[in-house]
Amino acid sequence: MASIKILLVANRGEIAIRVMRTAARMGIRTVALHTDLDVAAPHVAAADETVHVESYLDIEAVVAAARSVGADAVHPGYGFLSERAAFATALEEAGIALVGPSSSVMEQMGRKDAAREIAVSAGVPVVPTGSEAAFPVLVKAAAGGGGKGMRVVRSAAELDEATAAAKREALSAFGDDTMLVEKYVEHGRHIEVQVVGDTHGTVLHLFERDCSTQRRHQKVLEEAPAPTLDEATRARVRQAAVDLAAHVGYVNAGTVEFLLDADTGEFYFLEMNTRLQVEHPVTEAVARVEGHPVDLVELQLRVAAGEPLGIVQDDLTLEGHAIEARVYAEDSFGGFLPQAGTASLVRWPAGSSGTTPGTTPGTTIRVDHALESGQVVSTSYDPMLGKVIAHGPDREAARHALLEALDATAVLGLTTNAGFLRALVASDEFRDATIDTAWLDTAEVPAPDPGVARAATAWIAAMLGSTGEPNAFQSDGFRLGAAPAATIVELDREVRVDRAAATVDGRPFQQVRAADHVLEVMADGVPARVVVNVQPGHPGTYEASLLGQRHVFTPPDRLAGAAAVGDGAVTSPMPGTVLDVRVAVGDPVSAGDVLGVMEAMKMEHALKAPFDGTVTEVDVVAGGQVALGATLFVVEEAGS
Amino acid sequence: MSDLSDLVDDLRDRLATARLGGSEAARTKHLDRGKLLVRDRVDRLLDPGSPFLELSPLAATGMYGEPDASPVPSAGIVTGIGMIHGRACVVVANDATVKGGTYYPLTVKKHLRAQQVAADNRLPCVYLVDSGGAFLPMQDDVFPDREHFGRIFFNQANLSAAQIPQIASVMGSCTAGGAYVPAMSDETVIVKEQGTIFLGGPPLVKAATGEVVSAEDLGGGEVHARTSGVVDHLADDDRHALAIVRGIVDTLPAPAAPPWEVREVEEPTLDPETLYDVVPVDSRTPYDVREVIRRIVDGSRFQEFKQLYAETLVTGFAHVWGHPVGIVANNGILFGESARKGAHFIELCNQRGIPLVFLQNISGFMVGREYENNGIARDGAKLVTAVACSVVPKFTVVIGGSYGAGNYGMCGRAYDPRFLWMWPNARISVMGGEQAASVLATVNPKLTTDEEVEEFKAPIREQYETQGSPYYSTARLWDDGVIDPVDTRRVLGMGLAAAAQAPVPAPTYGVWRM
Repeated sequence: MASIKILLVANRGEIAIRVMRTAARMGIRTVALHTDLDVAAPHVAAADETVHVESYLDIEAVVAAARSVGADAVHPGYGFLSERAAFATALEEAGIALVGPSSSVMEQMGRKDAAREIAVSAGVPVVPTGSEAAFPVLVKAAAGGGGKGMRVVRSAAELDEATAAAKREALSAFGDDTMLVEKYVEHGRHIEVQVVGDTHGTVLHLFERDCSTQRRHQKVLEEAPAPTLDEATRARVRQAAVDLAAHVGYVNAGTVEFLLDADTGEFYFLEMNTRLQVEHPVTEAVARVEGHPVDLVELQLRVAAGEPLGIVQDDLTLEGHAIEARVYAEDSFGGFLPQAGTASLVRWPAGSSGTTPGTTPGTTIRVDHALESGQVVSTSYDPMLGKVIAHGPDREAARHALLEALDATAVLGLTTNAGFLRALVASDEFRDATIDTAWLDTAEVPAPDPGVARAATAWIAAMLGSTGEPNAFQSDGFRLGAAPAATIVELDREVRVDRAAATVDGRPFQQVRAADHVLEVMADGVPARVVVNVQPGHPGTYEASLLGQRHVFTPPDRLAGAAAVGDGAVTSPMPGTVLDVRVAVGDPVSAGDVLGVMEAMKMEHALKAPFDGTVTEVDVVAGGQVALGATLFVVEEAGS
Repeated sequence: MSDLSDLVDDLRDRLATARLGGSEAARTKHLDRGKLLVRDRVDRLLDPGSPFLELSPLAATGMYGEPDASPVPSAGIVTGIGMIHGRACVVVANDATVKGGTYYPLTVKKHLRAQQVAADNRLPCVYLVDSGGAFLPMQDDVFPDREHFGRIFFNQANLSAAQIPQIASVMGSCTAGGAYVPAMSDETVIVKEQGTIFLGGPPLVKAATGEVVSAEDLGGGEVHARTSGVVDHLADDDRHALAIVRGIVDTLPAPAAPPWEVREVEEPTLDPETLYDVVPVDSRTPYDVREVIRRIVDGSRFQEFKQLYAETLVTGFAHVWGHPVGIVANNGILFGESARKGAHFIELCNQRGIPLVFLQNISGFMVGREYENNGIARDGAKLVTAVACSVVPKFTVVIGGSYGAGNYGMCGRAYDPRFLWMWPNARISVMGGEQAASVLATVNPKLTTDEEVEEFKAPIREQYETQGSPYYSTARLWDDGVIDPVDTRRVLGMGLAAAAQAPVPAPTYGVWRM
């Protein structure tokens, strides 16, 4: 193919936008796909044209879309169809270039057992398996992923039972219970090498990445270069990746993943990802060709167009260090539960997607995201909202720049893991690069204290209450012959804001600047930058983001069900007949549960539990006549 | 530091002490019951950050015990005007840490005064009740007379009839006569297991009928919310009750539009803080009252009326916090022509519906044969009549002396100003102590020697000195409070904003050129 003129981006979110950015720079017309949910998504706005599909996973529809717009090539991004050989085949049949490897390579590398055989034949070290592997071993599904159908077995005695359990899981999850047994590495580091090959036989590596900070095999922080490798291992790992890619005739960008045993320094091939990785920006941040940053998507598109890479390995140099943090819609301090909702207020450290200088000299911040204020985040798609990437002359500089960038990251309206990322990047363990791939599965990252964020929210609430035209009854807390009264702001608890004295709950709180939802303060002498969203009302919005963490301070709605709850006697509201008795003594009930039903004056009345508790008395039978005010049931309040 | 600011420091100390409420032991006991202190209740009743125009916080100072002590701070009741859901309301809140919130004579007077403020300005009333009822040892000064305890309920009935909402929250005892505060209210809240309402408490019931009953069973929240119907809402605690009261106020219809045009507010160009520098403490030291006016009014702009005539009385128009005012201010003794000028100006303001502000600093009307023979009493009567029959809201600030008939002509308490405030340097009495002593000495035939005269005069001077103090006045509710002169502008502004809630009737006469 001579060149790509029209590129269909078969993806959504930040990666679609990121691909389009490069394509547009190269003068390529971009076409987006969108589902019903994504009509107004940022990636649609970023494209020159958009085509509706029912699903991003519908191969037929995506190929048809590519045909309908006359696309020369399709960039699959990551996830969705990016590693589906059938998709690659369908495109090949349609005569449309896939920005990725051939369907046959994809097919080969897609199966763990096949990939392993290729690695062995390429002379790449693989994890000892079967009888070669000494305990502890890992029993895992051949078709597996995501931790399903996997068991760690520490002795021969446990092996049979664990294998059976893993098979059951694998069968239900993947419909295939083929099992692999391999050496289990206690302290593993995840090392991966970025490779790129062209159709002219050149295969290069673009250095390695370390993605050891994972939670349940989900990467959280990624960096380049790997911080713990000695130079010999580093060279061997890079060469192994190139050998493997060359061995299969790999074309386009791919990633070879290795497990490094931190205790022995040995590394083993894990798998190859035949696509662009989420974490590719850390490679772009450190890799240089003749001093210029590398654009991996540009390389991908040139290769897909049949161009030679035009460089040799020695043309590539490495500069500084880069770390990426993945921002997810999840409540990391609340059981990592996925979050959805409207992102009422979004602040990214570098504004819109792109690279900007960091606060620390010599550093840069890049943000790839697809989340703007007002956007709805659903649980239908991947929960990743964006990526924050910091580059600096060395790892500490990059780490500090990333901390500052995460501090400036604020998403309100729904909770993200940005505060968790911030805490993680700040941790001694990450600083010292001692986090192995299993660390996060057991480590407790302490939740950030909400104190300053609450104070800031109260401060803003008090400030908003005092705006408006000056008038004699303006909300400035005026008192006769005394300092103005503190403003009592009701949040999740009461906060006393004394704007005149510059205190919150009696502690010093000096406003430095307040504009556009951002409050800069000295709280107890410590500088803080808080993004605050206060929308008074019922129940109103009272939330703030500090150091990346969203804190919600919804006040109690004292007028909801204004009447105080009385005793647990449920009495007859009218004289009438009991139709139904639904509980017995000893039954646990929740507030509002129907205990029985009675009929009076031709109306049915549900007799409901006044609060959560246990039924201690049932004084009626169905069909019985009851007088006005007769006690029918008694509920004892839970905990009383 | 000038003397005036020393007086203000003293005022602030007195206020801070009074605002503590009852003894530390009483406050601790109150808090231990899960109740909020009275001013904390008021703070949470009002909108966050709302100003509070407290009325007579130094009431009853020195009246019920040692002369300087204040065993009944603020007369055991907090009253004032604040905002609830953006609407000015009168708050009347018992302080149960002061003698159980019982009603002393001054407590009654202060409660009635708050209701008067509500009536004059058509402001909804919120009663936060926590009171044991009448202070029994002084029942003769509390119970029977026209302006005694019963008047509270008379007022509630008539305020309600005048569509001025009456809302009560029972947050503690509400015994005997006090039971009628919630019962006479339009809408009532009670805090469960804390508020009680009964005509006769358990001891009285036992004495009267032998029935033994707990306070809760006799008149607790559950009883009144579920059985008797005396209250309309049952609250879990103080905060819940206050939230319900706020919810009730939120349902009230909006007040009428102001009867006058309210302009955009302008700060004075002369800093009100400099009042300390321009006002001498000794009321005998003359100064130009315009220095005061310019530090009170919007943009320091004052348009004088009859500037060249009768210069001892300054009259003219200005705005305070956007509200139009006609200012009548003493700038020396009152002569016949000063009185006539004042009467003319007051009639002018009545015709135009412009509220009047009196700045009192008056030693009295001029005396002497020439003046009496020219009929100064006739001229004084014109001024007094104009003031008395004025239909626009009047506000009086005693910024210096307030003596004799000058008090009347300049809208003293007897002339029903909407509010009357005193500066800490103010003096108030029928005449100066020296003059009174001399008059009394002259008419006393028993005094022969100079020594006898001096011995006779000294205690009279001392009596006038004590009774002329603004704190003597404010303790007795002759005023609505002693204020920091710097606060004059703000306090007047709040008074005007409150007055703007009520319509102004039409005057029945034209302007008489005196």
